Amino acid sequence: MGRYIARRIAQFIPVFLGVTLILFFITTVLPGDPVAVRAGTKPLSPAVYKSLRHAYGLDKPWYVQYVDYLGSLSPVRYSPKSGLRFPGPDLGVSISYGRPVIAMFEETFPYTAELAFAAIAVEIVIGIGVGIVAAVKQFSIWDTFATLSTSILVALPVFWLGVMLQYLFGILLQQWTGGIFYLPIAGASGPPFADWQYLILPAVTLASVSTAYAARIMRSQLLEVGGQDYVRTAQAKGLSPSAVLWGHEMKNALIPVVTFIGLDLGAMLSGAILTETVFNWPGIGNMIYQAIGRRDYPVIFGGVSLILFIVLVVNLLVDISYAFLDPRIRLGSKVEG
Amino acid sequence: MCSGLVGTQEGGTHVSTPRFRSVIVLAAVMVLAVGVLGAVGCTPKAATTSSSSSTPVKGGTLSYYIGEPAAIDPYNAQETEGVQVVHQLFRSLTDFDDYDATKLVPAAASTWTVNADATVWTFHLNPADKFSDGNTVTAQDFIYAWNRIANPNTVNTATKKADPSQISYHLAFVRGTDDYGNAPKGISGLKALDANTLQVTLKAPFAEFDYVVAHPGLAPVEKSLVEGGVDYNGSKVAFGEMPVGNGPFKMSQPWKHNQYIKVVASDTYYGAKPYLAGVNFMEYKDPDTAYLAFQSGALDFSQIGTGKIKDAESKYGDSADGYTSNPGKQVLLGAENSVYYLLINNKISVLNNLKFREALSLAINRQAICDTIFQGSRQPADNIVPPGIAGYQPGAWQYAKYDVAAAEKALADAGYPGGKGAPQITLAYNADGGHQPIMELVQADLTKIGLKVKLNPFADFPTYLKALTAKNFMVGRLGWVADYPIIDDFMNPLFRTTSSNNYFVFPNKTFDAEIDAARKMTDPTQRLAAYQALDKQIGDQVPVIPLMFYKHHHVVSSRVHNFIFSSMYLADLSKCWISK
Repeated sequence: MGRYIARRIAQFIPVFLGVTLILFFITTVLPGDPVAVRAGTKPLSPAVYKSLRHAYGLDKPWYVQYVDYLGSLSPVRYSPKSGLRFPGPDLGVSISYGRPVIAMFEETFPYTAELAFAAIAVEIVIGIGVGIVAAVKQFSIWDTFATLSTSILVALPVFWLGVMLQYLFGILLQQWTGGIFYLPIAGASGPPFADWQYLILPAVTLASVSTAYAARIMRSQLLEVGGQDYVRTAQAKGLSPSAVLWGHEMKNALIPVVTFIGLDLGAMLSGAILTETVFNWPGIGNMIYQAIGRRDYPVIFGGVSLILFIVLVVNLLVDISYAFLDPRIRLGSKVEG
Repeated sequence: MCSGLVGTQEGGTHVSTPRFRSVIVLAAVMVLAVGVLGAVGCTPKAATTSSSSSTPVKGGTLSYYIGEPAAIDPYNAQETEGVQVVHQLFRSLTDFDDYDATKLVPAAASTWTVNADATVWTFHLNPADKFSDGNTVTAQDFIYAWNRIANPNTVNTATKKADPSQISYHLAFVRGTDDYGNAPKGISGLKALDANTLQVTLKAPFAEFDYVVAHPGLAPVEKSLVEGGVDYNGSKVAFGEMPVGNGPFKMSQPWKHNQYIKVVASDTYYGAKPYLAGVNFMEYKDPDTAYLAFQSGALDFSQIGTGKIKDAESKYGDSADGYTSNPGKQVLLGAENSVYYLLINNKISVLNNLKFREALSLAINRQAICDTIFQGSRQPADNIVPPGIAGYQPGAWQYAKYDVAAAEKALADAGYPGGKGAPQITLAYNADGGHQPIMELVQADLTKIGLKVKLNPFADFPTYLKALTAKNFMVGRLGWVADYPIIDDFMNPLFRTTSSNNYFVFPNKTFDAEIDAARKMTDPTQRLAAYQALDKQIGDQVPVIPLMFYKHHHVVSSRVHNFIFSSMYLADLSKCWISK
């Protein structure tokens, strides 16, 4: 297991180098000058223009900029003057805002993580729960309800659902209860609501489509597993239905579901642009999207590096979880699936 | 993998009528639920009016919608959000009158004089003007602040890295700004005659320089705080995160990026103290979300959501003058000092033909664009200069109107009767700015007089800007927001031959000389007449095609009285109050 993990972490380095190299190269062919964009239509003096381009290293060729970027990511620095230092990676300064990129991500990533984990919690509890109920009570009204509602949820656009929930729970509910009971429309903190109350609507919105898929996958996996021989053996042995379900069926049925939820967690931690915009959630998704529009390269590269790292960690955790779910899977062995 | 709704179990078929019925019932219930949810958006809300008190009440906190500013440090106050916050925290030498932006009122300077040839300005500071930390504002504070703006190596107070000001063009009028790096003491044209008197020597005569110094970015700052940081809760915060100014409000805590900026009333302000206890500038990424938040009561001031202007007018009532809000009269639709226009590339031979340009301008139905797409939040432009500018004359640009017959005649005079023989015109714009509907209507109007027109969208604004600079377009579009409410701020940046915003450069330089001549005139009547003549003269040449003037499309909550939001897009929050 340890060797497997070490090998996976080692695989990250060529992936990271490859992606960032391509990205740096693209910036040379992509039209658009971030300094000119910052000035907009107002005049910029040539001295200021040159100074800004130099400050951001934009006057160097792209491969020199790339090497500088890799150097700044290193947690170890050496200079003849001060010797060896460990200042931590330096992701540069945002061209649009003049702020350190690390500070911008330090502020916004906790909110993205909070929203992602809340959405995943909804997805796990409701998605898996509904899937189990639908499979166990197949063909009952619960099954029909689950299948119909998941079909509808999958078809709904996320931002439309978000806006409708805002209107229903933020404005109409406020009117109907005379201002006593309602949920906040937007934002992440501050009076008069407790912090967790801001999380409800965005988490539900973000989780909606994925929950529907998770429920569907759980249901069909359980039904498939339910037809296996070992389940019939367990039932023949006289085990109760819940013992069969939790002791035998779930662990086998969960693998595709865990894969799906894991991939989803990776995607959500990379920033949920639509949900963040609709609910004014101060996360990284909207920040990176705006940076792309403004050609704010330091923020874009910082965001890509962060997302690469997150996806690596999440995928690794998902793969490791297989070993616990299915003893037949041996990670790192030559018979790997 | 997915089992169907009506499936079969192992061991035989299984037709079940009760199950089929339950499916239909459930489906009907769900469709109904979705339908209700969808219809929910159409229910009009009854207008709420609170009891209004006409006597000001002290206290309360106003929630104000902004987007994330690029900077709230005055040296780099460049876009409307940052400028708005700076305008509450700082006062510059002069200020625009709340109700008529063309009138200047004293601010940090109580009086000012100009010499006979409009080259030397002397500002006498108000001795009661203090920063919120109690220190008196001196002429040196202005000199330090303006040098900071002109210096191409100015350092960002938070990162300590080079981050020069983007608004140094305001100081281009001052002698010595151009060779800032060479002079040891900074801008040579700035002098403190004493602690209370600032003398500014200009590069060339400019009789309206007192309008320029009203810009919020030209406010004074304290050198010790900029370089040493601001005290907050026992530690030092960068000046750019918590600026200290001489305005009616002061920061109560550092800027919480992407969330809010909180300010409270300042008790050292030299003018009438605000009624409000404080203002929370809430940052929203999306104006439609902000409007929803306004409707739920979380905001007191917001932009009106897309397509909802008529709805807002019926719910909240129209403001009496378009700029001031009181309960029941809360929708602000006053004209702003900004214009949307089409650029013309005169390097293309067909566009170098005056009659052809006249034809283009006369063929466009501006009223239809404003009504169809903007529901009254824009008005047709009949001049490059908007109505809120001193000296605006309706119809000064004689070809900026809709007259199809005249357009067809002009096209024939240009040598292309009925559009025959005319090359294809391409309309360039950035696809991410919502300009496509406008361009489509322009295309339809021009096609009506016989021209072949193609849309030429660029992926986004940076790409489009690059194409403009490289003159890689035929007809494009741009907007211009006035920094000062004077005709010069349209003539000079847009039509001076050396200006970076001038994409249509006439071969002769008579305009430049005429602008300079008007700038010399110290008699206001004479000067205004000269600028009006210049405006008309340029309009007759149609170097650009004005389409629309921007208007406010904002709304204020019913608990706020006397909320003022001027044509210069500046809110004076020291004059409004909240009724309990």
